[in-house]
Order: sequence, then C-alpha cells, then structure tokens
Amino acid sequence: MSTLALPPSGPLSVALSRNRLSPWRTWGALMLAPYVLIFLVFVLYPVCYGLWLARHPQSYVQLANDPVFFGSVVNTLVFLVVAINIKMAVALFLSGFFVTARPWIKWLSVIFILPWAVPSIPTILSIRFMLNPEWGVVNQLIFRLTAEDGPNWLNDRWLALSMAMTVHVWKSLPFWTMILIAARLAIPQELYEASSVDGATSWQKFKFVTWPSVATLYLTSTILSMIWTLGDFNSVYLLTGGGPADLTHVLATLGIRYLRLDQVDLSMATIVCALPLVLPLVYFMMKRLSR
Amino acid sequence: MASVAFQNVDKNFGATKVIHGITFEIADGEFLVLVGPSGCGKSTLLRMLAGLEEISGGVVTIDGRKVNDVDSKDRDIAMVFQSYALYPHMSVRDNMGFSLKLRKADAKLTTERVARAARILNLEPYLDRFPRELSGGQRQRVAMGRAIVRDPKVFLFDEPLSNLDAKLRVAMRAEIKALHQRLKTTTVYVTHDQIEAMTMADRIVVMHDGVVEQIGTPLELYDHPDNLFVAQFIGSPSMNIVEGVVRRDGGAAHVEAEGGVRWPLASSAGTDGQPVAYGIRPEHLSVVDAGTADAVSAEITVVEPTGAETELLVKAGDAPIVLVTHGRTLVRPGDTIGLAVDPAMVHVFDRTNGRRLVRSAA
Amino acid sequence: MKAISAKKVGTEAKLLLIAVPVLIWTLLPIYHMVLFALSTKEEAFSGHLWPDHPTLHNFSVVFHEQNYFLNHFWGQFLNSVIIAAAVGALTLFIAATAAFSISRLKARGGRLVLNCALFTYFIPAAFLAVPMYKAMGLYGLLNHQSALILAMVTIAAPYAIWVLKQASDKLPFELDEAARIDGASPLQLFRLVYLPLIAPSLVAVGAYAVLLAWNEYLYAFLLLSNDADVTLPVGLGHFLSADDSPWELLMTAGLLYSLPPAVMYYAFKRYMVSGLTAGAVKA
Repeated sequence: MSTLALPPSGPLSVALSRNRLSPWRTWGALMLAPYVLIFLVFVLYPVCYGLWLARHPQSYVQLANDPVFFGSVVNTLVFLVVAINIKMAVALFLSGFFVTARPWIKWLSVIFILPWAVPSIPTILSIRFMLNPEWGVVNQLIFRLTAEDGPNWLNDRWLALSMAMTVHVWKSLPFWTMILIAARLAIPQELYEASSVDGATSWQKFKFVTWPSVATLYLTSTILSMIWTLGDFNSVYLLTGGGPADLTHVLATLGIRYLRLDQVDLSMATIVCALPLVLPLVYFMMKRLSR
Repeated sequence: MASVAFQNVDKNFGATKVIHGITFEIADGEFLVLVGPSGCGKSTLLRMLAGLEEISGGVVTIDGRKVNDVDSKDRDIAMVFQSYALYPHMSVRDNMGFSLKLRKADAKLTTERVARAARILNLEPYLDRFPRELSGGQRQRVAMGRAIVRDPKVFLFDEPLSNLDAKLRVAMRAEIKALHQRLKTTTVYVTHDQIEAMTMADRIVVMHDGVVEQIGTPLELYDHPDNLFVAQFIGSPSMNIVEGVVRRDGGAAHVEAEGGVRWPLASSAGTDGQPVAYGIRPEHLSVVDAGTADAVSAEITVVEPTGAETELLVKAGDAPIVLVTHGRTLVRPGDTIGLAVDPAMVHVFDRTNGRRLVRSAA
Repeated sequence: MKAISAKKVGTEAKLLLIAVPVLIWTLLPIYHMVLFALSTKEEAFSGHLWPDHPTLHNFSVVFHEQNYFLNHFWGQFLNSVIIAAAVGALTLFIAATAAFSISRLKARGGRLVLNCALFTYFIPAAFLAVPMYKAMGLYGLLNHQSALILAMVTIAAPYAIWVLKQASDKLPFELDEAARIDGASPLQLFRLVYLPLIAPSLVAVGAYAVLLAWNEYLYAFLLLSNDADVTLPVGLGHFLSADDSPWELLMTAGLLYSLPPAVMYYAFKRYMVSGLTAGAVKA
C-alpha cells in the first residue's frame, strides 16, 4: 500500500489558490517571474522585432524572383515529405526490434543512441569527408570494388539533398525510436498473449494490437518531427553549405544565408514564408499537449 | 488543549453552497466524530478548521480565538491525513521532527519530543526507516507521531483508517482511542464508517448534504434518532423502516402498511390517517408462532447464521424486514412465522419531513 | 525438439539480419572520425578502413595547439564547458521555480505561462535564431558569452518546465498540505520537500540543458565571433574556411569534443530516458 494518493481534483486545489494568505500568492508570482522575464526579453520581443523587420512587401517580391528561394522551398518540401516518413517508418520498425528481450539487443540499443547524443559538427563533417569524391572512403571503396569512379556525392543537387536527408535521419532516428519504444512498452503483454491464443500471425499482431495503441503517438511524433525538421540547420549547412551553387538550401539555411549577405529583411521574410507551414503544426501540437 | 466552535459556518465552491450554516461546539478534551456519507461535507468542514479551505461564511474559533484568517501553521493544530502524507524522502525520525525543524527549534527539544512520541506509539525500532519500508499500520502511527510531536491544541483526523484492512482497522481504532485517553487533547475525527463513530466518539455529529442532522452521544443517537436519516445511518444492520398510515379507529392503535399488514403502535402521537415511517431495529423483533396475537405475519426468505447470532431476512406483506436473534434457530426459508414487536422500541417518523414524531417510551 | 531449435535459429538469424546493418549504420560516421584521428594525412586520404600505422600524433598536435586552426583549442574547450555549465544551472533554476509555481502554488497565469513555454518549445530554434541575433545586437550583448548563455536558456527552459511540471503533478497535494500544517513557508516547502522529491527529473533536465548548450552550433556561431571567446564547435567550423585544412586534426579535435556529451549521456541515461520521453509520450 502506498503512502501516496491521487491529488484532489477541481475544487479543493482551486480553493488553495484563491487563498487570501498572501505569502503563498506572492511567492507564486515571484517564482514565475524569472521565466516570464526570459520569455518577454528573449522570445516575445525578438519575435515582434523580427516580424517588424519582415514588413516590407518588396522583400517578398524579391524572394519570389530569386530562383534560390524557389528551389529552397522545393527542397524543404521534399526533405519534409521523404525524410520524415522514412525516418518514422524505420523508427517504428526498429522500435519493434529493440523491445525484443535479448541481452545483446539491450547493448545494441545503448550504442544506437550515440548519433543523438554526440554533437553535430564532428559527426556530420565526418560524413562529409566520407563522401568526398576524391579521397573519401566511400568512393575509394567503390573504386576498389568496381574499378569505376563513384559519383560526386555533394556536387549534384539531388544526390546532395538525399545525403543531407540521410544525415538528418542518422541524427534523429534514435530519439524517435526511443519514443516509440516507450509507447510499445506501455502496451500490456496480455494483449499479445491473448492474440497468440486467438491464432494471430506477427503481422496481425502488429495490425490489431500494436498499431492501434501507438497510432496516435506516431501521428503526434510525425507532426512534431516535421516542425523540428523544418528547423534542421545543421544537416544541410554542415554537409553541403547549401551548395553546390546554393542549390541545396532549405528554408532554415536560407534565412542564415541572407543574413550573412547582410540582407536581414530578406532573411526575416524567408522565415515568415515558412510560418504558414510551421504555425498550423505548432497549433496542432499545442492542442494535443496543453490540457 | 482547547475548545472549538463553529458559528453559522458556510462554504461555497463557486456558485454551489456545500455547507449550510453549521453551528456547534466541541468541549476541551472531547473526542468528536464527524460522520456521514460521501459528499456530506465532513471533510470540507475539517479542512476549514485546519485552514486548508477558505471559510465562506460564519466564524470558526479555537480556544476562543477567531481563526478565519489565521494561517494553518499558526492555528496550533495537527492533522493526520487519510493517505498519511509522510515525506517519502525523510526517515521516520525526520518526518516526526519536521515541524520543529521548520521552527528552528532546539535540537535537544526535537530529539526529546520525537523520542516521547516514538515511545507512546511503539515506533522506536523504526526511527531510521523510510516510509516505503513500513506497513500501512506503521505509517499510520508515524503520521500520528508527527501530530503528537507538535503538541497541538487540537488533533484533526481525516478518515485515517480507510486505507487499512478490516482487522488492522479494529486494532488501530483501539490505539487511537487509548491515545486520546492518555493525552486528553481535543480531537476532531472524520469518518464515513458509523461503527468507528459509535466505538470511538464522546459525541457524534451526523452530517448529510452539508447540514447537521443530529448531535449526541453514540447511545443517544442510537436510542433516540431525531430523524429518518440518522435512524437509518446509525446501527448495523440498519433499522427496518416500513411506510404506512396511522390508524386509531377504535381498537388497538396500529400502523397499516401496504397489503394491510398491521404493525403495533403503543404510543400516543401520530394522528389518525397520518402517513408515517415506522421504524424498528432488527434486535427488537423476535420470532413467535404464526398467528400469535399482535404479531406480524411474515415469511422467511433467507437465514444467515453468523455463529453467535442469526440474521433472518423475512417478508412481511411486501416489505423486506431484517431481524437478529441470539443463538440458533430452527426456522427455515419458506416458513411462515410471527414477528413480535417490542412496543417500547418503536420509532415513528413523519413521512413528509422525516422528523421523529414519537419518542419510544423508555 | 529439433523443430523448435530450427525456429529459434531462424528467429535469431532474422534478428541478426537487422542488428548488423543497424550497428554499421550507427557507428560508421563515428568510426570514421576515430579512423581519421588515428591516421596521418596521407593515410586518411588513402581510403583504408584501418590505418596501416595508427598514430597518436594528431592528439599531440591538438593538445599542444600546434596548428593555426587549433590556436585556441583549450580556450574554446573551456568556453564550451563554462557556457554549458552556466546554461545547465540557470535552466534548472528557472525551470524548477516556474514548475513549482505552476504545479504546487497554482499561481495565477500559470496556464498561460505554460502555454507560452510550449509554444517556444515547438518553434524551430533555427527560425528564432535571426530575430534573436538582431535582438542581442539591440541589447548590446553580441560577442559576450552571456548572449549565448541566455539564448540557450531561452531554448532549453520550455521543455525543462514541461518535464518538471509533469513530474511535479505526480506528487500528491496532501504532502504540501501536511507541510503547511507543519509550519512550512513557501520557500521551505520548495527547498525541503519539493526539490528532494523531484531530484531525478532535475538531473534529467540539467543534463538535457547542458547537452543542448554543448552541442549547439548555429547560435554560437551567430552570437559570438572573437576567436578566443567562441565555443569549440565554432572553432572547429573555421577549418571549413580553407580547402586544404588539416582534416585529420579536425576529426581529432571533433572526437575530443564528442567525448564529454557521450560520457554524460551514458552517466545520466537512466534519468534522461525516462524523464524526457515521459514528457513526450504523454502526447
């Protein structure tokens, strides 16, 4: 028997907050103040200022006329649709693999987390070097096996973008796999046992037991992943720098590109253009999480 | 040690009034039990006394001092919660000494008080253990120890035995009562269990829907319930209630129930034709041969022997009746018997408002 | 008997079939980094999968800052440490007080603050970077370490508050009531009852904030510019400015830079996995 019981809901806890006993009220406000301050100074004000910087209509005209911008939008959409779906599907599959009870699988799951835990710069640059067309290990291996030169991985727009997506998946797969593992672990064993007795195959068990339980989380994770992938600066910047010839920029890196060209208003305008994509997703996530 | 008084106390949660003008006093050193069904407001009243709920109307005094706007920690009270609320990360010793530590009390004083409380409650071997290592009964005692160390004017208990199993509950009941006899601190005890109320209280306050139904000593409530609610709430198995109409048209007065069943009525109140609720406790009925004069004819439905007693569920007309007899009986389900009513023990209540009409002539 | 073991072998084989590619996929870039770190420049470019003559010479060069790009290696390493520690501490303070206020004191406006925090958490940090950069300029904080620290705290705090609030909500309210009756003031409640009870979540949140700050590249490179003041990832990024930089040294330094977060993650894994995924699985 536990010493802990459920907290009172509704009236009792509300009454406590309406308590006229002022030290509790005062401290309530006082302890909220540090974060409120941070939010006002470093989120609200910069966002308002940023939007104000993006107010010139000609910025948007300029963007529309800039082929780099249009290309970035396409790249971003491709990135989102392809990378995220592949990533989440693989995460779902691997989550099933990692919940299998074997000691060596447990060890593997510990190693599997590494890409997420280690910093981006060295690892993404490592991949960049692997893909170097002259001396990178990948092309050297291809040459040794086929006596032919491997492709110039980072010099072709679509190859480079695919590599950037691969890097993104490499970095973020562990996190989502962990989330889905947690979701799978929450499913009671009895459901699987009952379905075994009923004669279900592995696929049927997935379809009728696993999937219904994780579907909602899968959807939420996909949405959240979309938001974060939109902001994935490192994968593209560190791998290709946006090149070749600014062809692999995505919206996240494009904003910084304009900033470095000292065109702040274009930079902000780019971000504003990304908002119609971001805000609905954010709204969706907030509805789900803030009860 | 101190007296407690509630004067016209109200409580609103938003627009809903849940406590209506409660007024009563608790004498210094008294063990008062607030009892009633879930949602009657007893816990809310206790929490208002503790300072955990705002008092919407009326005055609450402790030892003559108005405490409406006084913070909990300054009311000089201690509370034992239903779930004990022990600090999981502190040892038993630290749990009990926490209030003194907060006041930056002398370390020697703390050790003394904690040791004394541990001695009284037989907690000495557990002082360095943590709550998760203790059983339910032990945790309950630590919660009481925490209260004792405070040496407060009033002890408050909020359904402390609800989380314990039946056997432990009986043992802890006796311990709490013994503790009260030893320390003589004014105690307010909330429970939904009328047996706890009957066995522990000096006086009982029966609450229902935010009002006080009756206040009295256990036996007063048992023998002379003021209304239908108290009559049926106190006593187990509960009082039999039969709805009927008083008949005084010549001959012996009786209450006529559905199906023409006649229940004997010895006292004088209740006018002819008045609709009443006729109450008789199971232990005041006895089995006689069917057809005996003044006996109510009934058919036996179930016989439940509990060893020392036998509980009989019977049907008189359409009304289900329970009676309890000492020892064993030879009757069987399906038998027709006569119910003999002890006329002095009959309770009659006005059916329109539930109030007692007649005190059984004692 | 035979049928069962054949099935077992089949299952194990299937598992291995998945495991081996996963292992290779996971470790390849990291292994490659180690490979470069242990090779001379010529060996690194030779495409061997393991150097013929592994050497620790690169490490020596890095340790002694013997290369143009590595002139401030230790200084930058220290900057990363200081900034990560500061971000961790500040985030813990802000998030713990905010979560306590919202969850236990039921402060007015708590819901609104929580929603603002959630909103900040969901907005991609890269989008916030440019406005943050301009704002820091206005505040006069550019090129000061405090700019990066405050920016990182702004980014880490929302999730921290969310996680701590979830953990706090699990504590029964009766503990607070018992403490109040025992005579606790709000500060005493915070210090003596609340903080000890959410300690595991505090560890998770602190580790999260430290890792976030340590791994951050974009904000560091936007907000800081002086070579001596930047963090290590920015310093490493400078290697990219030339075409013939000593890549093997970059990988060596990168390896050293990757060690602390890996170690930290493994040390606090127990707290982090449960603490952080719980917040997300709630969805």
